[in-house]
Amino acid sequence: MAESQREQKISKEQFRALARLSRLSFSEEEEEQFIAGFEEMITFCDGINSEIEGDASSIREVDAREIALGDLRADEVVPSLPNEKILSNVHGERGYFAVKRVVK
Amino acid sequence: MNYELVSGFETHVELATATKIFCGCSTKFGASPNTHCCPVCTGQPGALPVLNKKVVEFAIRAGLATHCKINTTTHLDRKNYCYPDLPKAYQISQFDKPLCEHGYVELESGKKIRLTRIHIEEDAGKLVHERGYTFIDYNRGGVPLIEIVSEPDISSPEEAREYVEKLQLIMRYIGVSDCKMQEGSMRCDVNISLRPEGSKELGTRTEIKNMNSVSFIEKAMAYEAGRQAEILSSGGKIEQATLRFDENTGETYVMRTKEDAQDYRYFPEPDLLTVKIPQQKVEEIASALPELPLEKFRRYTDVLGISVQNARLLYRYKAVCDFFDRCVLLGAGAKNTSNLILGTIYSTLSTEEEKEAFDIRVSAEDMAELVRYVDGGKINITLAQMTLSKMLKVGGKVSDYISEADLAGISEGELEELCREAVAANPKAAEDYKSGKLKAIGGLFGYIKRATQGKADIKKAEEIIIRLLGNDK
Repeated sequence: MAESQREQKISKEQFRALARLSRLSFSEEEEEQFIAGFEEMITFCDGINSEIEGDASSIREVDAREIALGDLRADEVVPSLPNEKILSNVHGERGYFAVKRVVK
Repeated sequence: MNYELVSGFETHVELATATKIFCGCSTKFGASPNTHCCPVCTGQPGALPVLNKKVVEFAIRAGLATHCKINTTTHLDRKNYCYPDLPKAYQISQFDKPLCEHGYVELESGKKIRLTRIHIEEDAGKLVHERGYTFIDYNRGGVPLIEIVSEPDISSPEEAREYVEKLQLIMRYIGVSDCKMQEGSMRCDVNISLRPEGSKELGTRTEIKNMNSVSFIEKAMAYEAGRQAEILSSGGKIEQATLRFDENTGETYVMRTKEDAQDYRYFPEPDLLTVKIPQQKVEEIASALPELPLEKFRRYTDVLGISVQNARLLYRYKAVCDFFDRCVLLGAGAKNTSNLILGTIYSTLSTEEEKEAFDIRVSAEDMAELVRYVDGGKINITLAQMTLSKMLKVGGKVSDYISEADLAGISEGELEELCREAVAANPKAAEDYKSGKLKAIGGLFGYIKRATQGKADIKKAEEIIIRLLGNDK
């Protein structure tokens, strides 16, 4: 047990920091469940890494796939969506998205 | 103990592209809420960003104009934070490989404010907090920005003003942004700390967020420096915090402390490829850069001989400089041109915005023609001012106002005859002058001005009258 604790991939503090950044709150019990779930996910991803044959660094290299400046999008306006469409799945008011007030 | 101010700036500048950074929606300011929106800029699931080429080109231009090194391989990163102004819950920005690095902005004194970096990113939506709601307009979401980060090289509110104004001018000169602070297309975050005079160590800093006026920046910095000095002098410690400046009270107040500092968990943006910029393209952009503000200022003072004060009033408005430069190119003398612009034309343009737009009814061609007449001594400056005033009001050409007879001027002989008449018609003024009341000569000038409708060269007339009255010692 002591050994598995040393290998723990996510600490309670890390989990709580993430929860705070995500504006979420959890009970003690939920925390345990989620931490266990996170452990599984990270272990799974580590498994993928170790399964990749050869050198995985080239796959992870951010700059491994490039696009030339000349191939980027031209600065030409295309029609936007109608306001009604943009607001069709949300609570809208006078053309605005309306959410519960975020500042006091 | 005396303290010195140490300040660095993070400046957001909206780029003047037609479309947003990752989609084809318009960037036009002032549209009805959420009418310049699409699945990409409202963060709908599955929508993918496509980078706008012009954003990269404009940012390179901004980098070159501020003496930056351009990274020809650059990528974008995700900056995660949860707030309704960002529908995706992350902003696409740049973290470890900004497009431009290690530049500077030079002040008139020659001091260089070093730039750490300039990177590209998307703007967030606009929030309005009313009643129990926060109303969101995503028209601004996805508008391209550059963030210009300076080193802590600014040592006074006055230097801060000059730095911001210089940046603003550079961006306007190179045409990448209108930098209208009142419309939010240029906004500054100001970092401030104090340290004992002569010390090399940096003190704990506070950051004043989202300043959108140069005079408020000056006021906020002065206030914050005073507040920090008071704390330090009484043995206290500065708490690292993000502040907001209250324009009504002139004071800063805490938005959040270090405890609440965000953890943005940056990582490379997986939806966008790394951008490779050919060196040749960078050189192309560099060679197409126009004359920059400080170069222009120095040419006006050192080459054209305009006073520092006048050159300052000219070069702060790009449209004015374009007009002035065109007049000079057409053969108009720089001094007379600048005097007429600063005197006669500026008196009809009361606001900064009007001077910036410089939308006047006189063409550079007509102005140059008028100034050439003054330069050549064919008309005097007073007549030129009067003519220009009329042209500014009702338009028209120089020839509509100045006749052949005006241009023929008044010959030396005619002027001498007029001076004699003036003396004969004003014997008292002439006597007073002779008896030592030198100011009395003004009465004689009045006669000559009336007789010639302001066309006579009063300086020459003065010489003649002094000779006639025999008081030329």
